[in-house]
Amino acid sequence: MNETTNAMTNEQRVKLVQDQKRKLTYQSAMLSVAGILGFLLLWEFLAVSGVIESKKLSDVLQVFRLFILKFVDKKPDGAILPVHIWSSLEVALCGFGLAVLVGIPLGWLMGWYRGFDSFMRPIFEIIRPIPPVSWIPLTIVWLGVGLRAKAFIVFFAAFVPCLINSYTGIRQTKEVLKNVGKTCGASYFTVFWKVGIPSSMTMTFAGIKVAIGNAWATLVAAEMLASSSGLGYMILMGRSYGRVDLVMMGILVIGILGVVISALINLLENVVLGWKKL
Amino acid sequence: MKKNNEMLSAAEIREKRLGVLYKILPVISVLLLVALWLAASSSGTGFPSPIQVWDRTVQLFVKPVKKLSLIGHVGVSLRRIGLALLFDWTFGIAFGVLIGWFPRAKAFFGPLFNAFRAIPPLAWIPLITLWFGIGEFPKVLIVIFGSLASIVVNVQAGMSNVEKMYLDVGTVFNATPRQRLLKIAFPSALDAIFAGVRTSTSAAWMVVLAAEMLGANAGVGFLISRGMDSLDMPLVLTGMVAIGVVGAILAIVTQFAERMICPWTRRKKSY
Amino acid sequence: MDEKKKVILRLENICQSYVVQNGVKDAVENVSLEIYDNEFLVILGPGHCGKTVLMNMIAGLEKPVGGKIFLDGEEIHGSDRRIGMVFQSMNLMPWRTVMGNVEFGLELAGVKKAERRAVAQKYIDLVGLTGFENSYPHELSGGMKQRVGIARAYTNNPQILLMDEPFGALDAQTRYAMEEEVLRIWEQEKRTIIFVTNNIEEAVYLADRIVLLSNCPATVKQVYDLSGLPKPRNMTDPAFLKIRSEVSANTDLAL
Repeated sequence: MNETTNAMTNEQRVKLVQDQKRKLTYQSAMLSVAGILGFLLLWEFLAVSGVIESKKLSDVLQVFRLFILKFVDKKPDGAILPVHIWSSLEVALCGFGLAVLVGIPLGWLMGWYRGFDSFMRPIFEIIRPIPPVSWIPLTIVWLGVGLRAKAFIVFFAAFVPCLINSYTGIRQTKEVLKNVGKTCGASYFTVFWKVGIPSSMTMTFAGIKVAIGNAWATLVAAEMLASSSGLGYMILMGRSYGRVDLVMMGILVIGILGVVISALINLLENVVLGWKKL
Repeated sequence: MKKNNEMLSAAEIREKRLGVLYKILPVISVLLLVALWLAASSSGTGFPSPIQVWDRTVQLFVKPVKKLSLIGHVGVSLRRIGLALLFDWTFGIAFGVLIGWFPRAKAFFGPLFNAFRAIPPLAWIPLITLWFGIGEFPKVLIVIFGSLASIVVNVQAGMSNVEKMYLDVGTVFNATPRQRLLKIAFPSALDAIFAGVRTSTSAAWMVVLAAEMLGANAGVGFLISRGMDSLDMPLVLTGMVAIGVVGAILAIVTQFAERMICPWTRRKKSY
Repeated sequence: MDEKKKVILRLENICQSYVVQNGVKDAVENVSLEIYDNEFLVILGPGHCGKTVLMNMIAGLEKPVGGKIFLDGEEIHGSDRRIGMVFQSMNLMPWRTVMGNVEFGLELAGVKKAERRAVAQKYIDLVGLTGFENSYPHELSGGMKQRVGIARAYTNNPQILLMDEPFGALDAQTRYAMEEEVLRIWEQEKRTIIFVTNNIEEAVYLADRIVLLSNCPATVKQVYDLSGLPKPRNMTDPAFLKIRSEVSANTDLAL
């Protein structure tokens, strides 16, 4: 290296670049903390100072206290928090699981076999634009107000993204990869099994992620419209008793559980799609 | 030139037969679906037959529910999502550009936005009705809450993934920071933004339905919940069909708008 | 060419290196060059070494770690209007038509619409794309796209045009045709062109001078003056082949 033009040694440069990187990470972390803290402070200020009356906004600590209390207290909606959570999770997992089990293989088959596609496509296209929530009245008539009815609605919400993504995923299988299979003398089904499905996995997982989000969101609606348990029911009860703290706590719990579930799915994806990492 | 059957090879004949089969299969499946519907309606589970649904739809025009025909109810719902989407597309795009383009803004607002996004839109309904009652404004607000995230996420992704090669062109031509944003980054993110427009439209349509089912005096969602309350199943199905049709039309309209405004993306969408 | 050649661009001890994980990787080391007005200079080097980095530094896309760049006698920092660039990956904006892409530089410079249209049209005609003004890049072939890239670089009327492996992505036939085109355009609109390539034949076909770079880190290995060889050159001419094999023997293998 030319020392006159290059005042710093290599070690110094490496250190400088690393320091800059660290500083940047630190800065953005600080900004994030500031953002969240600012929001919480604003919330707390609005609630405590009485700018917004306490009937409409309860403060942070109150919500947290209620969260603890709700583990033992059945009032006013008739069940403790873990019962509601379990009820919601049960429905979400039933509906979502069923959607994955039915939707993904169906998508694969439709994407791979043209005859099956042309048979199923019209049915799917007719059902698809109808929002899952609008099935609620019919399911109540058929299945009553219970696990099965709610699971059915959640199923509808999660089914569509599962199917669409596994369908597009397998459709995008590279012709070259298929030809490798064919030249090895594999049957169309073997190529489907050994080449098509693995290569569609990335897209399929993207579908599963969308599906779990949809399932969780629809579940809340289903519980508000046709249920006597679950987190959605709990916040609706909070609304009708005018308990703003209960509503806010419920919303937070729903949000946090949604995040946790998505994180679990991401974890699963990392395990299944390990080969994608370099 | 037409080939005679004798001149076709076995593979060609097979291909031809399959082609015919692929045309017939969709017809069969739709017929099966209709047959299934008829069977369900005649089995006495309270499920209405297609004719009942049709009659109910016609009746809706003759004898409106709450002084509004079917078209009127669809119009009420459309007005609600229209107002919400107007806000989404102005504020949502601006906010998405802000957190997609400026790293500091992203660091500050990003975690807050993600927390907001984690909450299912319909879960806001109790809180919003507690705050603002059951008028028109809270309904529009619910729709905004339900559809804002999808456009912000898309705009943000588009703006933070601007390809360096386009920005390089700007650097060579001495672009100002303002020009980099308006002439390079924003147009390059337009297709992502349009993806956001499409998803936010369909999300808004779904949310307005749920909001109306939970308490309204007009709108398609109201028709359905009215049908549910009065055990008028044909009305429920009429509502569902209307929702499906309008939703499909909205999807087609947004796709058409995208092709008009971004003609260069035409090639990518082959179907 | 006579001896009173005017130096337009001068590179002085240019060094570039990158911090990778826990070390420093040198890309360009101590490159000093003098580039004359209106000459066609080809920078030839193996593999991915340093050539593009050198171009990027002259264009102002990255800052050199050490060394100075002088344009017309004054030092420049960052990008300069007098230097235009044709990119390897064409970098056409898919949302703009051919006209929109070509006039982009003038638009950024704040030139009025009618005026920039006229200038852009002139260069669209020059590169032979008349009639394609309203086509989008995805409707064009690779060679046509690169013509747009060349026209875009010309419209800002730069003194120096940098061409970074502009034909690297084209097939061999199109490539030959484009090499001829570039010479034709250069004859019509004389500019200083700095052309980067890893193709020896292309270098010998186009260049007034060839600067041969070494393998990583890039240093100037040798400079060949080809001004004695009249253009257009015949690729099977013995004189052409002689220089070609000379350069070839001196080129590092890129591994």
